[in-house]
Order: sequence, then structure tokens, then C-alpha cells
Amino acid sequence: MPLETARLLSDSTPSAVTVLRLENASKQYLTDGAPVPALENVDIDVNIGELVAIVGRSGCGKSTLLHLAGAMDLPTSGRVFIDGAETSRLSDAALTRLRRDKVGFIFQSFQLLPTLTVVENVELPLLLAGRPAPRKAALERLAWVELDGLQSRFPHQLSGGQQQRVAIARALVHGPKLLLADEPIGNLDTATGEVVLRLLRRIVDEQRVTVLMATHSTESTAIAGIIVRLRDGRIEEITRPSGR
Amino acid sequence: MLATFYRFFIRPLRREPLRTALTAFAVALGVAVVLAIELAGTAAAGSFRASLESLTGKADFEVTAVGGLAPETLTALSTLPAPLTVRARIEDYASVQRTRETVPLIGLDMVAEALDFETGNASEQTWREDNIWVGPRLAKRAGETIRLIVNDRTHTFTVAGILKETPGSGEAGNVVVMDLATADRMLARNARLDRILIDAPDTHPVEHWEALLTTALPRDAALARFGARTEENRKMLAAFRWNLRVLSYIALVVGAFLIYNTISVSVVRRRAEIGIFRALGATRFGVLAAFLGEAALFGLIGAAAGLFLGRAMAEGAVHLIGATVESLYVSSTPGRIELGWEAALFALAIGLGISLASAFAPALEASRVTPIEAMARGRAEYDARVHRTRDLLFAALLGIAAALASRMPPVAGKPLFGYLAALLLIAAGALAVPALVSALSMAGSTALRRLLGVEALLASRSLVASLRRSSVLVAALATAIAMMASVGIMVGSFRETVLVWMDSQLRADLYIRPAGPAAADRHPTMSPAVPGAIEQLPAVEAVDRFRALRISYRGLPVTLGAGETRIVERYSRTRFLDGDRAEILRRLPTGDFVIVSEPFANKHRVHRGDRLTLNLAGAPRTFEVLGVYYDYASERGYIVMDRSTLLKYLPDPAPSNLAVYLKPAADLESARAAIERATAGSSLLIMSNRTIRTEAIKIFDRTFAITYALEAVAVVVAVMGIAGALLALVIDRRRELGLLRFLGASQPQVRRLILCEAGLIGILANIAGLALGVVLSLILIYVINKQSFGWTIQFHWPVGVLLGALTVIYAATILAGLYPARIATRLNPIEVVHEE
Repeated sequence: MPLETARLLSDSTPSAVTVLRLENASKQYLTDGAPVPALENVDIDVNIGELVAIVGRSGCGKSTLLHLAGAMDLPTSGRVFIDGAETSRLSDAALTRLRRDKVGFIFQSFQLLPTLTVVENVELPLLLAGRPAPRKAALERLAWVELDGLQSRFPHQLSGGQQQRVAIARALVHGPKLLLADEPIGNLDTATGEVVLRLLRRIVDEQRVTVLMATHSTESTAIAGIIVRLRDGRIEEITRPSGR
Repeated sequence: MLATFYRFFIRPLRREPLRTALTAFAVALGVAVVLAIELAGTAAAGSFRASLESLTGKADFEVTAVGGLAPETLTALSTLPAPLTVRARIEDYASVQRTRETVPLIGLDMVAEALDFETGNASEQTWREDNIWVGPRLAKRAGETIRLIVNDRTHTFTVAGILKETPGSGEAGNVVVMDLATADRMLARNARLDRILIDAPDTHPVEHWEALLTTALPRDAALARFGARTEENRKMLAAFRWNLRVLSYIALVVGAFLIYNTISVSVVRRRAEIGIFRALGATRFGVLAAFLGEAALFGLIGAAAGLFLGRAMAEGAVHLIGATVESLYVSSTPGRIELGWEAALFALAIGLGISLASAFAPALEASRVTPIEAMARGRAEYDARVHRTRDLLFAALLGIAAALASRMPPVAGKPLFGYLAALLLIAAGALAVPALVSALSMAGSTALRRLLGVEALLASRSLVASLRRSSVLVAALATAIAMMASVGIMVGSFRETVLVWMDSQLRADLYIRPAGPAAADRHPTMSPAVPGAIEQLPAVEAVDRFRALRISYRGLPVTLGAGETRIVERYSRTRFLDGDRAEILRRLPTGDFVIVSEPFANKHRVHRGDRLTLNLAGAPRTFEVLGVYYDYASERGYIVMDRSTLLKYLPDPAPSNLAVYLKPAADLESARAAIERATAGSSLLIMSNRTIRTEAIKIFDRTFAITYALEAVAVVVAVMGIAGALLALVIDRRRELGLLRFLGASQPQVRRLILCEAGLIGILANIAGLALGVVLSLILIYVINKQSFGWTIQFHWPVGVLLGALTVIYAATILAGLYPARIATRLNPIEVVHEE
């Protein structure tokens, strides 16, 4: 269903249920000294427990949007709020704390550290944040993604699907409110991809974690509650498929 | 071809200018140190040639004798029925009173010999007894006066003329020349000559002239080809220079590890490119040559920079080496440092050689990469991991080989097998490092995480993951530390041994010798009346008169000494290798007996009970060796007999040194003042027991200063290498570092991670280096030192020095990580994660 406005919630300040808000957010990069727009005047509000798929061609700004949403980058203009905190107003240390507490990342190529075991990979965000009892939490998350028993293995001893489930466990271990997934099934075969997508859906349904997923695949959009279509850095269309 | 080489090898190096510069500079430092020691050693050792060699040209033969040659020998030679030119020499040293500089003093026939003068001319002079001619470096003008201390007397001389200095003339620049008669009187030679030089025409072979000359010589005179004494000095110095040279190569060896690492990194980074090249038709040889070309580039740049750096370092080194040579071996004035084509080629050869040799293994590995293999990431690291056990086995075998080599005797007086044992141990250490890094990092990672946080865990795992690279770094630094620790232990043990020895040997309250700086081959004498006058003083209990003479024994310089055994027996605690001390000292004055110092015994393979033949008083005399005593005063070695025995053959009562023992109640300062009053008119140096010990330790420390400097350079090279390698590591692991930022790592955490890696490399290198260093120190003390110099050193732990040095190195390693850590924190995580 096309919307008249790109804003999903009409309040000017993020509400208690809004996990992510982009207000007229733009991002430009300098290439050979000339500004190149990557994202232009994007307005999005995402609430708790929503699964949003960002779709569009390569280079349309999907990854840039995820980086702004994950406080890995700051908008050139406009504002980005994560759980009510405006990223542009935060210091580097505060942004780091924000990511540690509120955001989890999943990547297309899993990005597990090859030198750490499965459980060590999962507990890494907790260790970096200095949280107590990281091992217990990591094992619980591994059990949740149905990988208990594999905790002592190294990433190269796992299949691609297992590696992505480890990455999901890692992204969830610190209890983030927002999970950002960049092409999470891009490196997986169809069957394994479906397992991962079902897992993402479970995260939203059972954990009430908001998922923002950049994707090319129709299988991924099928599980999304909201689909944001980007074109040349602008929101072309936002749809809310029925049944979600 | 060249364009391709530029694109794929030079261009990437230009993109990392700091790392490239660090590697090239490491090679440059290695080359510079070797070159500096070579140049400085040559300059210091090159000045032994007798001063007159350059002043009056060479001769064909020279005649010498212990205690000097009687004037009749000169007459006999001059009256031989042959067209020979015979020239007499008195040779000694004098000290310039104002500057305390020691200068060679030559007595010759000023009328008969044609010297080159800048100003003044011997034949034009009105003959005066106080006339001397000086070299230009003494900065005097004709007509000026100069005060010189000759033996224990100070004299005022008039400079009659300035001698001309010819290029490369060694000591001729600061020589003092006087007429034979004046020298004879000043030095109290009683008409005896030190040398006679003989020129023979080419009409007959050398053997003919030797046979003829022998007929005119007394039995105690030694006839030798000219330059024999210089040759003796060179031979004596060979072990010292050889050891110094070997030490100088350590920095180069450490540099080799770093070149190996640089080329290995280059191979790992370019695996994909190598695969493409090979797929496009490049040959294995082409790939090998390309990587060797990259190494050669580092070698060339390093050699070129090392050439200039080495020249500058040599200036500093020559003074240290010169001082050591003077203290321990022979009087010398360092010559000029000459940087010629030979030196340039030498620098080029070692710079290129070490670079190519150390790069060969990774270059060969690169040439063996197949296009398919190139796609398999991380295989190189996997290889290193699976070879750990094999390498450990090799290390054990090399260790056994080193143990066997250390038991072998010296080859031509050089501890070649000792060096081989040290090299094998270094190789064994390097091969054992991967297992050590892996075992300690894995075993300690949990403890490290608890102690230092997750950064330490990540750092330790990263070291294991890039085992090949981290092992090379640890091995390079460990080698430098091992050499430093081993030399530190050896020098510390030696120092302690010398201190203990001084305690047993130096028992007198005051020591007296003629004024002027000391040297191992200068034995100026004092008037025989001096000890007599001192003995009369009420505070004095006993005076030991010691006479020393420079002699040759089997082609090497030795000091022949004579002391008063009954006093030594009573006061000193001289220790012998074996035999009953009391019995040895009881027998020594009773006949033709000698005792010899340990370095002499080792050098000439002399044992207790052997017999030595010395040419004394016109004939060869045989002496029985009663014992070998521990001695650390001179490397040239001593043959010591009782004073009465020496006087029997050489009736010259003038002593070289006095040891004065005071009565128990006597006050040291009052006694010293009384001695000064009693010997007024003599230029003597009176030193208390404490002063002479302090002076001896000062000389000892100065001797080993250059050793420490060489070790320090090796450590600097290793630390620089670590900085460069960590930079490469940061660049190669940028994706992982960026990912950590995504996972919530702060910038300080990333910085700590890199510093933890640097710290872990430092700790592992300290552990490996110290362990290897202790084993190497045993080789240095019990094999290399023993075979080179003949000294027995008691093992001693210089704990303070070692702890201090290791702490400084550890701190330096962490400092080396600061810049790479800064680079790591500045990486843009989005860029580095997404470029994959």
C-alpha cells in the first residue's frame, strides 16, 4: 500500500515505541573533491518489533541507510535518532556506547573472527562492553539459534548457514533494540537462506527486536512487515504487505 | 618487464612509505654497523706499523733481542763483507707533559739517515743534546720547547725541526725523533739498541742474506724479515677484531629476519596477483626474480644509506676500539678512516647479500604458488601452523648439533666451531619460536583476557592466527635480546671475575709507576734508587719491584715479568689453575723457573711442567713452568720469573712498577706524601689500591662499551622492524579492526589491542631471548672467549643489568606499537568492512 508520506509515525519527536527515526536525513560523500549524494532527505520512523526490508538496486543507498541507522556514520544534514538519542549530538565514545547497548549488526559475509571460537565470537560484544557473565549469555544465545554443542568450534569448521546463525547470535547477545542486517542471505543457498530468514522473523516475533534489513531477494521481502524501496538515494515507495 | 615490476612492487612500497623506510633503514643500520667496525678496526689496527717504516722507508731485515742488543752487534753487522746498509734504533715512548699524550720516541743516527723535514734540517743544526724533531701533529714550530716525560723523568727539549708527514704514515704524525746518543742517555739504555734495521741488495736471494747475517749475530738475537713485529701485533689482535666483527654482524642478522618478514608479507598480500600472473603465463622463475628484485631494492637502498651511516659511526667506534687496543694489547694511534671503493663494494655486497639470502625462502614459496592455490586465503598461515612440530624437531636437532660443535677445539686459534654453535643455537631458537608463540599465546589467552581484557585475548589469538609473521618478529627481537643478554651475562660474569681476581691479586696499599698513560706494551722504568728510598720510610713494610719487558714468543708478543716472589708469597693470593700455590712460589726463586698467565698458557698450549725457551743474555735459556696462574691484566699473556732470575741474565735493576705494602698502623695519605717527598725529582704516578681498582674497572667498562653499542643497534633494528611489521599487520587486518568497531569496540580499545600485540611480541621475545641468551652466554664464556682469549670466567648473573635492559626493550616494543595503533584507530570501519 503506497503511503502519501514517507513518515510512518507523524509525531515530530520519537515516541516511546519508535526505535529508529531518520528526519530529512541526507548523506553526501566526497569523490575527487566533488560531493556525491548517497542518501537524500530520507524520513523514516521504525517502531519496536517491526521488520523493515530496504530494497533497491546496488548503489541506491541501502548500506548508507544502515550505517546511519547503526550510528556507524553521521548524516551530512538532517537528524537520526536511535532509541530517542540523536546521533549527531553524541561524541565518538557515546556513539560507541549506543552501538554496544542498542544495535546489532549482521553482514552478508558473516564477518566472524576466524581466530576466535564460536562462543568467543558470540560473547565478543559483551566483552567489549565489559558486561558481566558473557559466557553464560553467549551460550544461551547459541542455544536460541540452535547451535548449542558447537561452541568450541572455529568459524571455518562451520557451514555458511551455521556461520550466519553464529553471527545472528552475536548480534543479539547484548540484547539490542535494533538489528541491522546487510544482505543476510546473500552468501547462502536458498534452503539455508530460508532458515536464516525464519530466524530473523522469530527474533522480531519472540524478542520484539526491530530488524532493518537491506536486501535484494524477494524471499527476504516476503517476511518483512514494511518494505522501503530506495532509488538513487531517495525513498521511492514504502509498502506494508498485508498480513504483517 | 620493468614497468610491470614498478606497478606491482615499487608502487605498493610507495603507498606505505613509512614501512618501506623502516625496512630499508633496518638494512642500512645493519650494513652501517658492520662497515663501521671494519673501518674503525682497520684504522685502529692499521697504525701498528713502526713509525720509522713511514719515516725512513722499509728495510729488509730487523734484529732484536730481549733486553736490547749490545753495540758490538751493530759493529759486527756493519763490518760484514757485503754491501749492507745497517741502521740502529732505540724505540720507546714519551708523554707530552702538557697534554698527557703518549708519543713514540725514536732514537736514530740523525746525520747518517736522511729524513724528510717540513722545516729544519738535521745537518744544519748546531748539535745540542736537547734537540729533537717532531711530527707535524704535535703542532710545534722549530725553535719552540716541549716538555716530555721519559721514563720517570721530565725533560725540556728544543724542537729543532718538523718532520714531513706522508699520507698513511700512521704514527709518524706525532712521533718524536732524537739522536741515538740522546735517546740512549734519556732512556738509560747503557748503549744497548732496541732494533737494528738492515737493507740488503737484490743481488742474492733473501736466504743468502739471512745465512750471512746469522753468522754475525749473538745467539740471543732474533733475525726477522722487516715488519715481523707489525705482523705479530696483527696476529695478536686477530681474535679481538674477529670477535668484534662477529658481534657487528648481529644487527645484520636481525635485519635479515625483517627482510624475510617484509617479503613474506608481500607474498601473502599478493597471492591473488601471483595467481593471475601465473595464469597469464608468468614463469615460476619470473615470480621468483620479481620478489628477489623487491628484496634487492631494499638491499641497495640499505647499502647506500649504510655506507654513509657506517662512515659516521666509524668515527665514534675508532676511539673506543683504539682505547681498548691501547689498554689491552699494544700502543696505537688510530689512523684515518678511509672510505674507498673497496668499502663501498663491501657495503653493497653485504646489503644485497643479506637481503637476497633472507628473501629467498618466501620468494621461492611465491614462485610455487599455483593459480588455484592463490585463491585459497590463509594457506600460508595454515602452513606455518602445521609445520610447528616439524620445526620444533629441527630445532632440537640443531640444538644437539650446537652442543656437539661447542665441544670442538679452535681452528687456527679461532673459535670457529664456537661461532657455529652460536649460529646453530640462534637458528634452533628461531625454529622453536612458532611453537613457543602458539603454546604460550593459546595457554595464556584466558589469563590474559582476565588480566588485561578482551583486547589481550584478541591480540594473543591474532598472533597465533598470523603465526608465520608473528614468529619472525618474535624471533628477530629474541635474537637481538639473546645476543644482548648473552653478552651482558658474559661481560657481567667477566666483570665479577675480574673484581674477585683484583681482590686476590691487588693486595698492596700503593702502586707506583712512571708517569704517563699506561698501555699493555709500554713498560717505562724508574730509577733503581726509587724503591730503595721508599723502603727506608718508616711507614713502609715491603716494596715489590716488578720489571716488565716486551718480548716475542713463537711469533706473538708477550710480556716477560719479574717480581719479588717472597713478597708475593707473603701478601698476594695469586691463584693457580692447579698445583700447590705455596710449593710453586717456594720453588720459583730457586732456579730457572717461571709461572705463566692463563691467556699465555692457552694461546701457546703450555702446561704446568712444560719447558719454555727464551733468548736471554746471549743464548737460549730453558725455564720450567711451575704453574699457570689466573690473570686478567693483559690478553697478550705473561711469563713471570723471580727478580733474581731475571737479574742473573739481564743485570738491569730498574723496575717498571712498584707495589708498596704499608705497616698495619700506617696512614695511607701520610705514607703517600712521604713517598712523594722521598721521590721528588722523579715523575711517578702513585695510585692507591682503591684508585688502581677503579681505574682497572673503568678500562674494563670502556673495553666493553662498544659491545653494548653493537647490541643496542641490533635491538634498535629489531624494534624498528616491529614497528614496520605492526603497521603492515594493521593494514592487513583492517577489516577485522573495522568489524570490532561495528561490534561496539571503542577507539581506545582498538588502540589497546595493537599495543597488546606489541606487548605480547615483546614478552614472548623477552622469554625466548633470555632463555636463548643464557645458553649463548655459556658458549661465549666457556667456548668462544676461552678459545679466543684464554680467560676463565666464572658464571655470574648480572641481574640488575639484565632486568634493566629487558625492561627498556619491552618499553621500546610497546612504543613501537604506538604509531601503528594510531593508524588502527583512524581506520574508517565502514570503508574497511565494505571493501571486502
